[in-house]
Amino acid sequence: MLDEKTNQPAIIATNLVKTFGRTRALDGVDLEISAGGITALLGSNGAGKTTLINCALGLTAQSKGDIRVLGQKSGHALARQSTGAMLQNSDLPDLLTARENIELMASYYPDPRALDEVLDLCEMREFCDVQYKKLSGGQKRRVQFALAIVGRPRLIFLDEPTTGLDSDARRILWKTVRTLAEQNVTIILTTHYLEEADALADRIIVMNEGRIIADAPTTEIRDTVGGALIRCVTRINARQLATLSAVRSVNFAGRFVEILSADAVASLRALLEIDPELSDLTIERPSLEEAFLGLTNRANGKTDP
Amino acid sequence: MSYSIWNAFQKEAGAELLKLLRAPEFFIPTLVMPSGFYALFAIALPGSNQNAEYMLATFGVFAVMGPSLFGFGVGVANERARGWLDLKRASPAPGIVYIASKLTATLLFASVSLGLVYVIAGFGAGVVMEREVWVSLFGVQLLASLPFVLLGLTLGFSFESNAAVAVTNLVFMVMSALGGLWIPVVIFPPALQSIAQLLPSYHLAEIALFVGQAPGTHHVMQSLVVVLAMTGGLAALALFSWARQRSS
Repeated sequence: MLDEKTNQPAIIATNLVKTFGRTRALDGVDLEISAGGITALLGSNGAGKTTLINCALGLTAQSKGDIRVLGQKSGHALARQSTGAMLQNSDLPDLLTARENIELMASYYPDPRALDEVLDLCEMREFCDVQYKKLSGGQKRRVQFALAIVGRPRLIFLDEPTTGLDSDARRILWKTVRTLAEQNVTIILTTHYLEEADALADRIIVMNEGRIIADAPTTEIRDTVGGALIRCVTRINARQLATLSAVRSVNFAGRFVEILSADAVASLRALLEIDPELSDLTIERPSLEEAFLGLTNRANGKTDP
Repeated sequence: MSYSIWNAFQKEAGAELLKLLRAPEFFIPTLVMPSGFYALFAIALPGSNQNAEYMLATFGVFAVMGPSLFGFGVGVANERARGWLDLKRASPAPGIVYIASKLTATLLFASVSLGLVYVIAGFGAGVVMEREVWVSLFGVQLLASLPFVLLGLTLGFSFESNAAVAVTNLVFMVMSALGGLWIPVVIFPPALQSIAQLLPSYHLAEIALFVGQAPGTHHVMQSLVVVLAMTGGLAALALFSWARQRSS
């Protein structure tokens, strides 16, 4: 799908590589994100999510490959006019109020939203006249979010937008993101929270060590990383555990073994059969980290550490 | 809220002034120090009255140097460290608006600082000059902020925020003391006199002394050439350090 204003797809990356010294932060990323919709970039720290966003914004020059944003070279003035961003480590001027910060950012754009519209969308009237340095961490993130949307951008990058937000603030931000998506704005966000990707995104891209290891509609990813985490003490070794029915990955944590399974009942039945003496058994829904460990371990071609 | 570079510049310059006014712990000392020192050296110390005119030239350069060096050196380093410059780079904000706004705020600030020194000179130290001389001295001293702004930019782009504060302070002291802004260079030992020749503050003071018709001979043409060359060099250095931090 093409953007209705610029008539271009949001992002096209071709064999994108970024190296920092000997680290390959991006290791050959091929990606097309069409206009409209919400895309979540998931992955652990150092997976390359932020580097990818910084390349798209023109803040970081790629080492190899190409990335085009709304049909323009990344960082091009025309691309920037249609782009809004909330970066991970970017504080605003301390001595300006939220209102002044928003008005300043608005003055850079050709057709910005009215101040009142932004204050209502972000539900931040109560602290809009407080100096930035006096705001709480969560309120600061919300002002940064307001700056990302004030320019009426066609494409919005949100790098971990809800880290440090309380549940109310997170709900407001999610609501605003959905409202914008209904206006056919393209939104690309990174997050650590599976539930956030789950709640917001139509498409999830999972990154690991600078590569894309999964890229699918949200419903499919959920099935892939879903399942259950079986935790117990057993004398069976990792190799044998990995061959059991429905087992995705095996990890040892102290004397415990953690088995990520697509079907807990099937895996457990098989496990109890070969080790009737296993003990300290618990079964839980995997957290995002554990689900990722499953995905990333497979990507790295290993089943145990 | 409609877009034009002019509109962005107005908003940005306004924001720069607000930031300045809301940091009295920065602007009051920076304003008071030059006029306070001038009052001390040109009025309070015994036998200082015959030097009041001479010191007006050098302390005027001192008065514009503070806001220029600190506003850009420390200001840019801070805004870079907190990631604010990254966000501006990702936005459609033209880089020139950022520099022009900071420069405007700095020149306004420097004018007030300079004005305070002039008030003390005229009413306290009894300096009498023709109106044209006052005006041209003011113009020359205000222009003297340009090389310091470029030097400040270079420091701001090259150092992390804490280091920038320390380095800018050091540069400020060296420029003031060794450039002869507090005490005339002629009474320095020869070795220090030759160091002064390397500093833009010395040459700017020489030009100001000439324009202010202060006693003594001043090699104005020579200093003018040196200042222009140094300003060009500092502009190149500022551009280079800007490009370097950008690509990292």
